[in-house]
Amino acid sequence: MTPRFSARSQVAIVGYAQSPIVRHAAVPLGALALDTALAAIADAGLTKDDIDGFTTGSLLPTSGSHASVDGVSIVTANWLAEQLGINPRFCAGFQGFGQIPGSVTMAVNALATGAADYVVLHRALHNPPKGRYHGNPMTHAPGAMQWTAPQGYFGPLTMIALPYNEYLQRYHASRDAMAAVLVEARANGSRIPWSYWHERPITTQDYLDARVIADPIGVLDCDIPVDGVAAFILTRADRARDLPNRPVYVAGYAMGSPRRPRLPVHWPLDDIMEAGFEVARRLEEASGLSLREVDVPQLYDGFSPFVYFWLEALGICPVGEAHRFVQDGGIRTDGGVPILSGGGALGNGRMHGVPQMLECYLQLAQRAGERQLPSASIGLACHSSPHFGGAVMYSAEPL
Amino acid sequence: MSDVSEVAGKPIPVPDAQSAGYWTAAAEHVLALARCGRCDRFTHPPGVVCPHCLSTDPAFVFVPVDGRGTVRSWTVVRDSFLPGFAADVPFVLVDVELDVQADLRLVGRLADGPDAPLHQGDRVVTVFDDLAPGVAVPAFALEAAS
Repeated sequence: MTPRFSARSQVAIVGYAQSPIVRHAAVPLGALALDTALAAIADAGLTKDDIDGFTTGSLLPTSGSHASVDGVSIVTANWLAEQLGINPRFCAGFQGFGQIPGSVTMAVNALATGAADYVVLHRALHNPPKGRYHGNPMTHAPGAMQWTAPQGYFGPLTMIALPYNEYLQRYHASRDAMAAVLVEARANGSRIPWSYWHERPITTQDYLDARVIADPIGVLDCDIPVDGVAAFILTRADRARDLPNRPVYVAGYAMGSPRRPRLPVHWPLDDIMEAGFEVARRLEEASGLSLREVDVPQLYDGFSPFVYFWLEALGICPVGEAHRFVQDGGIRTDGGVPILSGGGALGNGRMHGVPQMLECYLQLAQRAGERQLPSASIGLACHSSPHFGGAVMYSAEPL
Repeated sequence: MSDVSEVAGKPIPVPDAQSAGYWTAAAEHVLALARCGRCDRFTHPPGVVCPHCLSTDPAFVFVPVDGRGTVRSWTVVRDSFLPGFAADVPFVLVDVELDVQADLRLVGRLADGPDAPLHQGDRVVTVFDDLAPGVAVPAFALEAAS
């Protein structure tokens, strides 16, 4: 099939760095970002002077009343370029959801068009040191919040709880089935040195015993807020061949968004899935590949129900069957489809779509060490909800 | 219905040009939704454009509607991140598709409490929670129990 995406295999990831993922870093987020970006540049065999492009999605993803301060609680592309003393040809932030696929698309487009030659793509996530992460002392609800906050409908937990319960009720599933997702994510995260959950796997009973916050969402269904930064270096394929690491090529990407406006944080299950099926179709159209060819699918899991939604949207299991699929060993890295081999957000901490992108890169570049999968040729890195995010396909060889 | 003094401190909605008619009606315990003056279809929440006919001058009129509907989903909130709800938890939020128009959905508190048995497809009616003098927010109650 001819790919719609004419820049297929023209852009590659050539290096990376990942900071330790901790609850509260000892240094300000901006300092961590700068050090991580420099480490990624060095990993790619480049120097700071080679870099002429920057992109990120800088959102501080909390409903709490925390200030967004550049260099402290967020790190924009412009801030990072300035602090590095670089006047880049290309510097832009992605403002939507799905910040990782969103910023990858911006980097790829800039590189493929010649707008830049070497792009730093970073993501800096912050856990504010004071106050509850999602806590908000608002006394009045203006704007969009007026439709939801006065009745206590607020924040991402109720946001995901409603479509998740809609799923459980529609398909007669038990919330206990999700234990298989958490056990798998944490088992894989426990093997990753930079993970917040390094050497801390959990059991099914740990999951079942955990506090429920907004039924059926419990505390372990949520990724834990952290301080952490990852950075990737992208360049064109012709330049990538001269660099020390094995390039990992961008094969295509797709984004999705809901067809109709809703109340803030109202995500009906059918909205999620309708857009998810379209993202899956667009991925195949863009890449010219079948999703069945993907051997390193990394599904987004910032809230555990996203795993079910992505499994079904991508056709890895039939609609309504994900809860059985995970219980039957379907997502075991050892013997199943390794959708959480990189630990995901549940196994690393709230790094948004970074663990998915990083695992695709490490596996396809043959840099995953003892975690290296036997077959790693086509990767898929998903981020966010299928209807408010997207996914990027990667290949180990140019297509 | 909760007493006003019990619920003081919850976020108070701030009406604006798009929402004033909704809150004025709610204060009288009337559910009035925005109907497009061009295509006659309802929208919630109303914005600057009608999502059905894309009119940028939708001339929304707030029309009292039958507040009955069908439960599509729900959650039991056990930990609120907003002020004023500590005494209310656990409470139930229901995701309701209103009868008045297909796929027109509201999310509100269920007055029946966390122990009421709930199923997809259960029928509810609109009721109101008073938040402050002259301020009420739509909520729901199971039809059989009301």
